[in-house]
Amino acid sequence: MRRRSLRLRLLVTFGLGAFLLSSLVATLTYVGVQRLLINNQQQSDLGQSYVNAALVRSTLYTSAPEITDLLNSIQNASSSNVLVRTHGEWLARSTSASTYDVSATTIGIVNDGKATEQTLRVNGRIIFVVGVPIPSAETQFFEVFQLSNLEHTLRLLLMALIFGALATSLLGLSGGLWVARRTVRPLMEVSTAAALIADGALTTRLLVNKADREVQQLTESFNQMVSQLVQRLERDARFASDVSHELRSPLTTLATTASVLQQHRDDLSLAGRESLDLLLADLSIFQSLVEDLLEMARSDGGVPPVMETMPVIELARQSVRSAARRHGLDEPPVEVANGVGDPLVRVDRRRFERVITNLVDNAHRYAGGAVALRIDVAGNVVEVNVDDAGAGVPIEESEQVFERFFRGLAAHDRGIARGTGLGLALVRDHVRAFGGTITVSRSPDGGARFQILLPLVESEAS
Amino acid sequence: MSRILIVEDDDHIRSALRLMFEGEGFIVDDAPTGEVAMAMFNRMASDMAIVDIMLPGMSGFETCHALRSASDLPIVIVSARDDTADVVLGLESGADDYVTKPFVPEELLARVRAHLRRRPEKSTGAFKLGDLHVIPDEGVVRLADGAELHLTSTEFRLLTDLASNNGKPLSREDLLERVWGYDYFGDSRLVDVHIRRLRMKIEPDAANPIFLVTVRGTGYKLVI
Repeated sequence: MRRRSLRLRLLVTFGLGAFLLSSLVATLTYVGVQRLLINNQQQSDLGQSYVNAALVRSTLYTSAPEITDLLNSIQNASSSNVLVRTHGEWLARSTSASTYDVSATTIGIVNDGKATEQTLRVNGRIIFVVGVPIPSAETQFFEVFQLSNLEHTLRLLLMALIFGALATSLLGLSGGLWVARRTVRPLMEVSTAAALIADGALTTRLLVNKADREVQQLTESFNQMVSQLVQRLERDARFASDVSHELRSPLTTLATTASVLQQHRDDLSLAGRESLDLLLADLSIFQSLVEDLLEMARSDGGVPPVMETMPVIELARQSVRSAARRHGLDEPPVEVANGVGDPLVRVDRRRFERVITNLVDNAHRYAGGAVALRIDVAGNVVEVNVDDAGAGVPIEESEQVFERFFRGLAAHDRGIARGTGLGLALVRDHVRAFGGTITVSRSPDGGARFQILLPLVESEAS
Repeated sequence: MSRILIVEDDDHIRSALRLMFEGEGFIVDDAPTGEVAMAMFNRMASDMAIVDIMLPGMSGFETCHALRSASDLPIVIVSARDDTADVVLGLESGADDYVTKPFVPEELLARVRAHLRRRPEKSTGAFKLGDLHVIPDEGVVRLADGAELHLTSTEFRLLTDLASNNGKPLSREDLLERVWGYDYFGDSRLVDVHIRRLRMKIEPDAANPIFLVTVRGTGYKLVI
């Protein structure tokens, strides 16, 4: 089933509901009033007809030739058409009367000596036909009433009812709009807040709405959930940080004593020297791991970056230089696209250096080294691309490579020096702290391209 | 033979450091607290000090400060965290350099050696900075009245290295290499804090420097 907007659904429900209900009420009212009015009219018309029939009978007895005049005077008095039939022939009728208005059935019934009445619709008009037998003169009296006055009233009523129904529907629609807004707004607020929190704005809370009990409950339990989540996150971060801090002292002792052993390497047996090499190799991984964990705990624990406005090209050059020196690698060239002046960015100098160091180190470890660091400006965004000489990152790993302790295909390759599994995760954390993004794609040379996008700073904010 | 003072409250680390430095041919004095360290320092002339920041009683910062008041010896602090605040505070209290735990022992050794190897640069002649008279040959800076302005060896080296570059700027990395003797593991905060300290001493108004000028995007230069 297709998912529809709750707002729309509420709106449609209310609008349609109001329309159906008001239509039903209008129809019932119309039908009821119509029946009542017609009945009343027919009752009075019927009484009138009997009186008129009596008049016709007496006139037939006394002065038959004047019958037409009488019929015309009846027509004038009660605005009905009157017809008289004797021995199967029409004897007389008032001026505007038509024999078509009286059906054969009606004539038959009256012929049999019974009074009858019939309501007909002719050409959209309602007529009421009354037939009265006058057996003593073998005559039948018919009176045809037009219910035109009634029709006018009914038409007015109908219009009033339609207008009423439409007004009610509109009212229902606006009521629906109000309810929808009132119902949906807290939901939208919750969803906006949740999105903010997911983006890392952990201090986001909902305003407690006291107007509706249910909404108040929702906002309160939402806020409570976020608080507990934040507490838990902080506890986890603190735990990781505490563990790493506790590891520092024994690790320092281990590393120092291992280097003392290294000083006495010549006194050791072959097995002793081999063991020492293994020990030194793993100590170095252990050390990097604890360093990365501490760095991560700092950014998790909310030690704010020291943001400075800096020229990105110079900063990148320095970072590449110190990254290359740190690992004893060849310094990859920094290439600046044509027309790029001296763009400024706002970053934490140390963390930016760390980002470049980790990317260069990553390229060296898994992808045959960094080919170049390329800088470009697109609109108000500064691009810093670190391109490597590897086979590229498989598309399905392009998100995962930034996850903590993720090991991709490249990391499982033969004989690659083990990293800590935290390098790229730290890179992403730092870049995000600068308000930037990092993605991995393919470089023009075919290797992987780690692309950092940073907001361009227009002029130096002192 | 160089004499090194190690102030560290963790017994294991202290013993390991003593073994390592002795293995490298140093004479080692080690102290578990700042108080003991000061008592030791007053009895013998150390060439170098390594001070842990987190000490019971007298803190590492206070120990640095006390050592610096008594001597120009190079001090390397060992910081538990490399938070900017801690590092800057340590450097401000007189340290010349820092390493963070867990440190790579070879790195600490390299730094200690670099500081001990350093001798006043004599590549530049005497020059004047306003009322100040800088005499690299004697390793002193004299005020207008002939009194000596006290600079640590790191500060003096920073000043003379900038002077020897003939008014051209030097990047933070260049300065780290020339003054601290690093060819890797640089931290530009080292340079920035020392520049600030130097400005406090030689500039008429440290907030608006006229001699030691920042060149944005490059580094620093000395205007003579």
